[in-house]
Amino acid sequence: MRRTLNLALRNLLRNRRRSLATLVAMSIGCAAILLFGGFSGNINYEMHTRIVQRGGHLQIQHRDFYLYGSGNPTDYGISDYAKILTDIQQDEVLRKMVLVATPTLQFGGIAGNYAASVSRTVIGTGFVAEDINRMRQWNDFGLRSKAPISTLEGTALDSAVVGVGVARVLQLCDALKVEHCPKPDKKRSGDGEAVPDDIAQLSMQESKAASSASNSSPRRVEVLLVNSRGAPNVTSLEVVRAEDQGVKELDEIALIMHLAKIQQLVYGKSAPKVTSIILQLRHSDQIPAAVARLEPILAKYSSSQPLAVLDFRMLNPFYVQTVQMFDTIFGFVFLLIGAIVLFTVSNTMNTAVVERTVEIGTLRAIGLRRAGIRGLFVTEGALLGVCGAVLGVVLALVISAIINRLDIPWVPPSTVEPVPLTILVAGELKMIVGTTLGLIGIAILSAWWPAYRAAQLKIVEALRHV
Amino acid sequence: MTEETLSQQPVAMLTQVEKTYRLDSVSVPVIKGIDVMVRSACFTVLMGPSGSGKTTLLNMIGCIDRPDKGEIVVSDCKVGELSDDALSDFRAKNIGFIFQNFNLLPVLSAYENIEYPLLLAGVSAKTRGIRVPKLLEAVGLEDRAKNLPGQLSGGQRQRVAIARALARKPKLVIADEPTANLDSQTGAAILSLMRRMVDRYQISFIFSSHDPEVIKAADDTIFLHDGVIRDVQRKNMGASK
Repeated sequence: MRRTLNLALRNLLRNRRRSLATLVAMSIGCAAILLFGGFSGNINYEMHTRIVQRGGHLQIQHRDFYLYGSGNPTDYGISDYAKILTDIQQDEVLRKMVLVATPTLQFGGIAGNYAASVSRTVIGTGFVAEDINRMRQWNDFGLRSKAPISTLEGTALDSAVVGVGVARVLQLCDALKVEHCPKPDKKRSGDGEAVPDDIAQLSMQESKAASSASNSSPRRVEVLLVNSRGAPNVTSLEVVRAEDQGVKELDEIALIMHLAKIQQLVYGKSAPKVTSIILQLRHSDQIPAAVARLEPILAKYSSSQPLAVLDFRMLNPFYVQTVQMFDTIFGFVFLLIGAIVLFTVSNTMNTAVVERTVEIGTLRAIGLRRAGIRGLFVTEGALLGVCGAVLGVVLALVISAIINRLDIPWVPPSTVEPVPLTILVAGELKMIVGTTLGLIGIAILSAWWPAYRAAQLKIVEALRHV
Repeated sequence: MTEETLSQQPVAMLTQVEKTYRLDSVSVPVIKGIDVMVRSACFTVLMGPSGSGKTTLLNMIGCIDRPDKGEIVVSDCKVGELSDDALSDFRAKNIGFIFQNFNLLPVLSAYENIEYPLLLAGVSAKTRGIRVPKLLEAVGLEDRAKNLPGQLSGGQRQRVAIARALARKPKLVIADEPTANLDSQTGAAILSLMRRMVDRYQISFIFSSHDPEVIKAADDTIFLHDGVIRDVQRKNMGASK
């Protein structure tokens, strides 16, 4: 083996320019694959992180909430949620895995700005404000970008945060100091619909009470919702900030408020419920173990309410589709570059076989078996593969380090604020090893046919070759 | 075994050997039913004009080509019955080759070229370390051990090729016009070296040549014409056919 390796190496060095050209082609191909992999990998991590920061890894919901809950979320409330949370927090195994376990309540309603005579439908979510910020600190992949801190924490119970789209439609941009927020033409009634008379009357009653406390703040909105008994209820909320939700559709309807406040509005004096219990784990790979551990706990409560555990991938099909799309593009890029490498190495080896035909005849004459000839050329191909792949890895590491240092701003999917363009190559051992082995495999495959041809040469014809 | 009895032993025996080449649809018979014996520890020359079948006959004796008909026995082995791998091993062990164009591996030094057949045979590093310098000394190239073939003259390259052919102590060395690419003085020196090797190592040398001067150095001379043997002259045994 050492003899073959030594001879193969010397043969490659014999025609330095050709070997170098092949190596350059291979290393550029390898670097291109790794850089694209590092880019798409970073998008995956960014999306993964933002989704987990907002909605955790797992959500315990009523079995039908995911499919039917958007119609009337409060119909799918989980009773005894406090007991379930206690059970989770007291479980020996889950306690070590769970970073944040927090209840949320979703509702559908109409938000109106009485002063501007505009309203729009919203999907509201009640959170424990402190838990929102705890969840936003999750950064298991060590990303350079940080999620913005929610301003809901530490605010009064009647405070709310809205999506920038909601702020725009409700004409709250000036009051909330939202930048890049176009205003409607003054002659027109505005983008939002006028508040219906009955709601306006209801909100007037509510706003009288609120205005006395807030001196008719320009950030005040009225929210109409249906309580658990089916009766309409209205509240006045002080919008403390407009936050971009990352996805336009969500940004146009998002209303985030304190859980206690929304429970008060929906359930009044009855026992409060929630629509989801969010669980954020330390690491994403703990999901299967956490789900397995949750099953017996939830079984205790399933007699009265069928519960299900959904992971963040099921709850965010867009994330799964995006990752699949990038994986497919990565596979396609690998295939294309692999084909280029295949033809480059194959061409180099074919030329080598033609040039060294007499040498092949000589080696066979002095006793080298066909397998020895095959081994020699395949080893040359493998050496080209190893050197090209290693050079490619080094090139990709250098280029990615340079790009990462430049801090070029861009906005990846599902991300709100511009983040520095990051290409993750260093530390992505699986991708590096996979690409390296893949390219070495292709190089060996490329060399196999010329090697086979060389081994099949008739000795006398090879010796006669000019 | 004495030198005389050794020389009576055949190192190669050809019986009714035929070989035909096919060029497109035309069949060209090159060797036409040859019977010949090559003696052990003898310097045998294959003489004949171009196209007489010298190289083809040498290739078949050297086991790098197979006859269409007939039987070849080299060193008591019916080589026609061997598989390709077995034949490779047989060549590695029993036959050395010296080519007209030297055919040294250009990436290996003189030392490494001589060592290569020993590596193929799995000879230990210790043995190689003893044998290769001896061979270099025998061909007068001790000071050129590290030179690549490109850094050697034609005569020096051919001497390396001779040393390589002798490395495994083969029973038979095949040399196809080994002096054709050398000037007359160098050619004569190479011929003399090969002759010395036959005497020193008791190895059979069989080589082809056009040069009538070569006959003087030979023990046996086989005259070939149009694929048939016209005459065989054996110095110790007189002329026979």
